Amino acid sequence: MTRLMTATAMALILASPALATEITVVAANLAPYVDPGRDHSNVGSQFYFNSFDPLIHKDYSKVEQEWQPGLATEWKLIEPTVMELKLREGVTFHNGEAMTADDVVFSLNRMFQATFPPYQVRQRDRLANFDRAEKIDDLTVRVIARQEEPLWETLLNLQQLFILPMDYTMGLTGDPKVAEDTDFEAFSLAPVGTGPYKVTEFVPSEKLVWERFDGFWGDKAPLDKVTVIHVPEVASRLTALKTGEADIATNIAPDQLAQIEADADLKAEGMLTPLFHVMIMNQNHPKLKDARIRQALSLAIDRDALNEALWLGKSLVPDSHTYEEFGALYMPELKTFSYDPVKAKALLAEAGYDGFEVTFDTQGSYYTNGLLAAQAITEMWGAVGIKASIRDLPKWSGNDPEMMTRNWSNPMYFADPFGSFGVMWAPGGPSESEGRFNTDDAYKAAWEKFRFGKTVDERKVAYAELMGFHQAEPAVLPLYRPYESWAMRKGVMWKPKAGHIPYVLDFRAGSVTVE
Amino acid sequence: MMAATRPAPMAFWQSLGPFHRIVVALSLALVALAVLAPWAAPFAPTDQSLMSRFKPPYGFDGAKDGFFLGTDELGRDLLSRCIWGLRLTLSLAFLGTAVGLLIGATLGLLAGVTGGWTEAAIMAAVDMQIAIPFTLVALFLLSMLGTSTLVMVLVLGIAGWEQYARIIGAETRRLMAMPFVEAARAAGATPARIAGVHLLPNLVSPIVVQMTLSFSNIILLESSLSFLGLGVQPPTATLGAMVGVGRDYMPNAPWIVLAPSLLILSVTFVVQVLGDLARDRADVRLRRR
Repeated sequence: MTRLMTATAMALILASPALATEITVVAANLAPYVDPGRDHSNVGSQFYFNSFDPLIHKDYSKVEQEWQPGLATEWKLIEPTVMELKLREGVTFHNGEAMTADDVVFSLNRMFQATFPPYQVRQRDRLANFDRAEKIDDLTVRVIARQEEPLWETLLNLQQLFILPMDYTMGLTGDPKVAEDTDFEAFSLAPVGTGPYKVTEFVPSEKLVWERFDGFWGDKAPLDKVTVIHVPEVASRLTALKTGEADIATNIAPDQLAQIEADADLKAEGMLTPLFHVMIMNQNHPKLKDARIRQALSLAIDRDALNEALWLGKSLVPDSHTYEEFGALYMPELKTFSYDPVKAKALLAEAGYDGFEVTFDTQGSYYTNGLLAAQAITEMWGAVGIKASIRDLPKWSGNDPEMMTRNWSNPMYFADPFGSFGVMWAPGGPSESEGRFNTDDAYKAAWEKFRFGKTVDERKVAYAELMGFHQAEPAVLPLYRPYESWAMRKGVMWKPKAGHIPYVLDFRAGSVTVE
Repeated sequence: MMAATRPAPMAFWQSLGPFHRIVVALSLALVALAVLAPWAAPFAPTDQSLMSRFKPPYGFDGAKDGFFLGTDELGRDLLSRCIWGLRLTLSLAFLGTAVGLLIGATLGLLAGVTGGWTEAAIMAAVDMQIAIPFTLVALFLLSMLGTSTLVMVLVLGIAGWEQYARIIGAETRRLMAMPFVEAARAAGATPARIAGVHLLPNLVSPIVVQMTLSFSNIILLESSLSFLGLGVQPPTATLGAMVGVGRDYMPNAPWIVLAPSLLILSVTFVVQVLGDLARDRADVRLRRR
């Protein structure tokens, strides 16, 4: 017996170095491009953390923000609006270039002083307070803010401020000394960063392959190779898992969990993902201009019923656009959103609703349970007398003037009301710039107070005021904070970490082991 | 002489063997179910009861009273959705067949009557249509024009026109050489009159046979397009769309896929058998044997 065990152990020891650790992930969605700066989607967020680093890292295992050195090793405010950062020595990009202050200044200024339109949206919605970055010497940079910034570390930790190589990017197309829009387009198909995995193959919307980057400055990656494949149907993802084709499957609806638990080889890991699935309404659609119609659309949706039925009660229905993670700024007492079909009917009658059809846009399997929720919501609208139909579109329609209502999500990009509500509903942010949401001077003034308020109380008062605007002129209804699950082989030790933005596939050292 | 005194449907029924009688009865039942859907279905096809999703059919553990075939992923009655789905699938197939017949017969007659370069052009189009995989064309059209019932009917119609055109074209050419056409022409009849009055009645049997044959193809095409999500939009049910949605729940709720699949199977089977029957009756050479 002992001999057999020794032999087995020997065999394992001999065998393991030869066995490369490779895993395959089947994902419900795969990004059409990979550029952490322009992207803020739930699809892209899966990919950036393995290949890129921010200047300031954090402990991603917990919700509380505990900052750690990233590509910067020290940082301090030298003036109320100026932060100086010392860069880490000996960091190399995947293409072999050494990282210097030039790369950092380039990466930051491409966002702060954006010329490429997709960057401009991100600049306006979350980075507007940053004026510029400056090089002091090869390993020192300064970031200059326009006014005192309460969220320095939080913002420098953002995915949009991950660092990429200057010479490589500018040399991709045209003049190698100038950053053209086409350089950024090209970069998004052949991304290069400093993270523990390099992207070795990327087929837009189909496939992404990571391989371990041996020149990584931190703890080396635990996996040799990770292949992510786009498999939209949940049944196909589970089949791939069962046949051993895949090791991890993303976006598993609660309906499927029993089936995974029944399989001795599989398990599921889930969490209340820090984002809201929301229903948005186009304030500028001619037929939805009357706020009472939009109020009725919002009041007619029984979100608790959606949670009970589609999420088996595992999701969380919010009273306002607020997350527990906000700490002192968590404001469930606001009760901004509620279910009141009687009031909905009364408002419709008052507004003289004439039975016109309201369309609800959704995109197939993009959101877990998205199409089911769409059908349940239109049925709930039917119950208060609203004629509704679904448009199942292959693409985003939030910028289409014909769009009346649709599903969307508001992720929590960082644990502050500015990190979820603030980003999506900022004056000039993604909703307003797509022409389906309007802000006036009063809204802008309240927004400034909420964003830069010196005390928690000042910010809370301003936030309550903003929620009041959204109650009076509805453009969004947070439906629920979904319970998302990942299914995997029992031999894979992985789970989503609470400190990440939603859907990050974190395969760094300490985050995953494979038997 | 006995046969002539009996009403035609009775005579037809009596001339059938037991197998064909079953099939004919089944086809009548399916059509009746589709036509009477508003009364036959116990629920509206979109009626949800979110708290009773995935209830299995009668005879299985956890079945719910009143839901004979169980419920689907939104707690809708599967039996009602099957009946309404059958209604929509059959209507689309009938309309599609009619559109195909209209296009195909017109072009076929035109080709046969006029001959010359018109015929050459029409027959070239027929050959082209046969050479292109039609599902691809259908996918292209639906993604360009969007998914509406009207577009769907047109796409399904275009799917079968070339068969009609070819058969009718060939048959017309043959008939054009017959003495009675010759006589009509000598009497000064216009080509349109010859086509409508003298040719069309003689074309009825090949057309009927072709219609039954292409009907089941159209049902299958509609089902595959809906399965791919390019058919009518949810929550409206067609049989193919139900199969498409149900595949996500195959391991935990197989009835959502099985019920509409079995219906598609029986409809196409019945139509195929009826098509064979019609061909046997229409073909003089076969009848003699």
